[in-house]
Amino acid sequence: MTIWIIEEKCDGCQRCIRACPYEGIEMKDGIASVTERCTSCGSCIETCKKNHAIESDIKPRKVPDFSDREGVWVFAEQTDGKLAGVALELLGKAQELAKDMGHKVSAVLLGKDVSHLIQTLHDHGAQNVYLVEDDLLENFRTIAYTTVIEDLVLTYKPNILLIGATALGRDLAPRVSRRIGTGLTADCTQLAIDPDEKLMFQTRPAFGGNVMATIACRYASPQMATVRPGVMESAPYKPENPMLIRHEISLKEQDIRTKILEKVTQKKPGTDISDATVIVAGGRGVNGEKGFAMLKELADILGGELACTRLIMEQGILPHDAQVGQTGKTIRPEIYIACGISGAVQHTAGMTGSRYIIAINNDPLAPIFKLANWGIVGDVHEIVPELIKQLSCGGAS
Amino acid sequence: MDIIVLVKQVPNTTNIKLDPKTGNLIREGLESIMNPDDLHALEAAVKIKEETGGKVMALSMGPPQAVDVLTQAMGMGADKAFLLSDRAFSGADTWATSYTLSKGIEKIKDYDLILCGHQAIDGDTAQIGPQVADWLDIAQATYVNDIESVDEKQIVVKRRLEHGFERVACKMPALLTVISELNEPRYPHMGQLISACEQKSPITVWNAADIGVKTIEVGLEGSNTHVIKTFTPNFKRQNELLKGSNKEVVSDLIDRLKKSDTTIAYRL
Amino acid sequence: MTQPNKNKSNKIRSNAEDMVRFTMAQFVDKEVIPVATEYDNKGEFPQHLFKKLGKMGIFGIRYPKKVRGSGGNTTLYCIAMQELARGLMSLAATTAMQCLMGTNGLYLYGTKEMYEEFLYPALKGDKMGAFQLTEPNAGSDLSAVRTKAEKTRDGYVINGMKTWSTSGPKGDFHTVLCQTDPSLGLRGLAFFLVPASTPGFSYSKPFDLLGTRTSSISEIYFKDCHVPVEYRLGEEGRGLGVLLKILSEIRIMTAALALGLHRAAMDDAIKYCKEREQFGKPIGKYQLIQAKIANMAVNLEAGQLMVDKVTHMIDQGKECLNLASMAKYFTVESACSASDEAMRIFGGYGYSMEYSVQRYYRDNRFLLYGGGTHEVLQTTIAREILSK
Repeated sequence: MTIWIIEEKCDGCQRCIRACPYEGIEMKDGIASVTERCTSCGSCIETCKKNHAIESDIKPRKVPDFSDREGVWVFAEQTDGKLAGVALELLGKAQELAKDMGHKVSAVLLGKDVSHLIQTLHDHGAQNVYLVEDDLLENFRTIAYTTVIEDLVLTYKPNILLIGATALGRDLAPRVSRRIGTGLTADCTQLAIDPDEKLMFQTRPAFGGNVMATIACRYASPQMATVRPGVMESAPYKPENPMLIRHEISLKEQDIRTKILEKVTQKKPGTDISDATVIVAGGRGVNGEKGFAMLKELADILGGELACTRLIMEQGILPHDAQVGQTGKTIRPEIYIACGISGAVQHTAGMTGSRYIIAINNDPLAPIFKLANWGIVGDVHEIVPELIKQLSCGGAS
Repeated sequence: MDIIVLVKQVPNTTNIKLDPKTGNLIREGLESIMNPDDLHALEAAVKIKEETGGKVMALSMGPPQAVDVLTQAMGMGADKAFLLSDRAFSGADTWATSYTLSKGIEKIKDYDLILCGHQAIDGDTAQIGPQVADWLDIAQATYVNDIESVDEKQIVVKRRLEHGFERVACKMPALLTVISELNEPRYPHMGQLISACEQKSPITVWNAADIGVKTIEVGLEGSNTHVIKTFTPNFKRQNELLKGSNKEVVSDLIDRLKKSDTTIAYRL
Repeated sequence: MTQPNKNKSNKIRSNAEDMVRFTMAQFVDKEVIPVATEYDNKGEFPQHLFKKLGKMGIFGIRYPKKVRGSGGNTTLYCIAMQELARGLMSLAATTAMQCLMGTNGLYLYGTKEMYEEFLYPALKGDKMGAFQLTEPNAGSDLSAVRTKAEKTRDGYVINGMKTWSTSGPKGDFHTVLCQTDPSLGLRGLAFFLVPASTPGFSYSKPFDLLGTRTSSISEIYFKDCHVPVEYRLGEEGRGLGVLLKILSEIRIMTAALALGLHRAAMDDAIKYCKEREQFGKPIGKYQLIQAKIANMAVNLEAGQLMVDKVTHMIDQGKECLNLASMAKYFTVESACSASDEAMRIFGGYGYSMEYSVQRYYRDNRFLLYGGGTHEVLQTTIAREILSK
């Protein structure tokens, strides 16, 4: 299986390069050239309709007929009778997807004594709720849940199955996908229905978020994705004729092969600033220990960590582990809030890779503003308390 | 106890750079490393071997140059190593990859335990472990941050969850995916590393035929999912100064954060 | 469908040189660089890193497996030392000595019991071996060695002193050059193993030095130190021969250390001149800075070729002392200039103890005399050429 370029026919338009998902084609002396990264996927061939300069020996793969697969399913994750927030978020998205496909939304609820959750699921978008209750489903165990979902999917044949990308979901979903013989896209941040084929286009970050990839599952069914918590929005719903489908399945303890000995609630150990999602950093403009106590409060609300410039480390306010810059750490959090930091390269060399940079500084000419997505010119000791105030009364969890 | 460790060669995404003009990923000069979580899986396997005896076997799928991560695994104490390498394996999604790996494991045949890293830094899917476990029809435990005890019958582990952890007993054979909290991986020993590179290399390569798979079952052809397109998210900074009273600028900022594509957006 | 590869070998292997370099580079990037300046400023030896290097089998890298070495060679040894020197010169120099001068005499002439007591623990990093040549009046001129080993009924009694003793206070055993017959000059020399636990062995306070500040270098003293006859490493009068066996290797190892330091200075300078902006653009856009970077890169590449050539010749058993001297001379001079230029690129920050470039500048001075002063090297290089 290979792809090759008929050099005489190539006019160097580069359409194929843009179409290639794998960077498998590059320009060499004004002519397209196939690189080692080519996976022979064939995406480029179509784009070269004008010149027919790309040929291959790939036999087109037959797309199976999945027209009998109906419904957008959401796995309603619950623990100890409490729904995970992501389940309702997924129901919100599922409503949109179902509308574009002309399908219905269903929720799949597994557990022991969980029927009190049914109404909530209906109210957030589930026309149908598939309920399986069993003593052996009291705690989540991979093989038990996989067996039940396999049976449900084979019986009712949904078109789409969405699962939250939580610790539980990321344990369960791959096993389910293998069991029912379908593909799975992990940690999606966007889902959309392609109007032509009615396929679900699933977009997810790769390479540590530096590249986004859009993926489709054309050759197997159902189309399965896990979705990150927090990226979809839940939406209220008034179902007409809501349906509850109770499904029975006989599970045996010895088939499940794992036993939960103990569940312990525990706060995560302090995160290293290199792994933190949010960083609140302070510099010369922050008023000593008291100022940093204020920054700590902000960091806690945002679930982040504190960082600092060299000067603050030398003053002994924060340890060397918290110093960012040329002689400290290099970090790339999602959000970096620079408080009272002027933006000298000695510091910024360690943080320019951050996804969003927010700068708060009273000097409008501070170089940090040239790096920031959003800047606020003002006194850190007024802006940060205001931020804390507004974030706290916004009902932060 | 015979342990198979799944390892993967990945580009080192921690030093990743984007072309400032096009915003594309600069792949040139990206060094290849062993996937970081896999180092912890190897360390755990070698530790168990040191306590209970038996052998550690490293298994990888990839191009011929992926031999380097297997050499590293042998440097760390693996006794044998196997590379599944064939043009036909390229472009595989997790379905096809987990199938290929499970066929490699079936060819190795004798094992009590399979260890792998929780996820790989190039794809971050965390799917291969559970999928391999299902192909082989064995118990699984993911997010493992502690191994309390292990014998022929069962293994007791701790799993790190969002709000704490749980202790789980798995029947053997089992597959564990481990996270970095589990241990501190050792560096390769020069003697073992150099031996792995010698003329009579202990590392075996198997192609599709060797592990008994048809080329249409693996690689791109055997995959269920396909990449439609890839793109680089727009990371251009607007350098916008927010205007207004303190109250106004702060609420403006919170609004922008809520609309941002960050994982904390929903919590605000 | 692909055919099973029945007939052809299905074995595959990595390149040992690449793997050793990669492994050491990872160790240096993760373990050494983050703490190097801190330890150097404190003047404290990073003992925990020395232990880790022992666990990694570095100290046995040039010894065969049958003596519990790692089965490598001089090329792999120099690659490892080059990477280590990129992190911290004192650690690299101590390690280099442990691998070569500190243990080689013991490896060549030691008995089984001496292996058990000294060599095996040293290769694991549990004991430290040091090498003692220099005396107040005997540096480049070894005929002036005055430390005396007198034959007794059951061994030797050693009296005298050594100076510039690397790891003098910390070494567990020392390979010491002594005179057995002062009337014979260079032909009266022999090496002796002197454990630090030998009664009569003592050392001075460590010297206060410009560079390699985490090493401890001192004077050591021998007062009626009795050692058994097996502790004589090689025959009486053959001391110079024993030294000559590894002299090429010592010189090329020193060159490898210089390459590592050169690389560190260059890496830091490249990073800095991309980050630091003046007059609206990174300073790397200015031609005078570019000239410095170009010189550093060219010299590094040239030095690397010299070192690679010599290490491969040593591994093939070829004579190459003069080439090794040239490589040592060239790489150390280049590293001197690279660390100087790197400091200039850093401007005022290069003068700050917070940045590593000042350390490269200071540490490199150590290489100017270790392994032969350049004044002596230039002379021997020229003499060798002119004698043909």
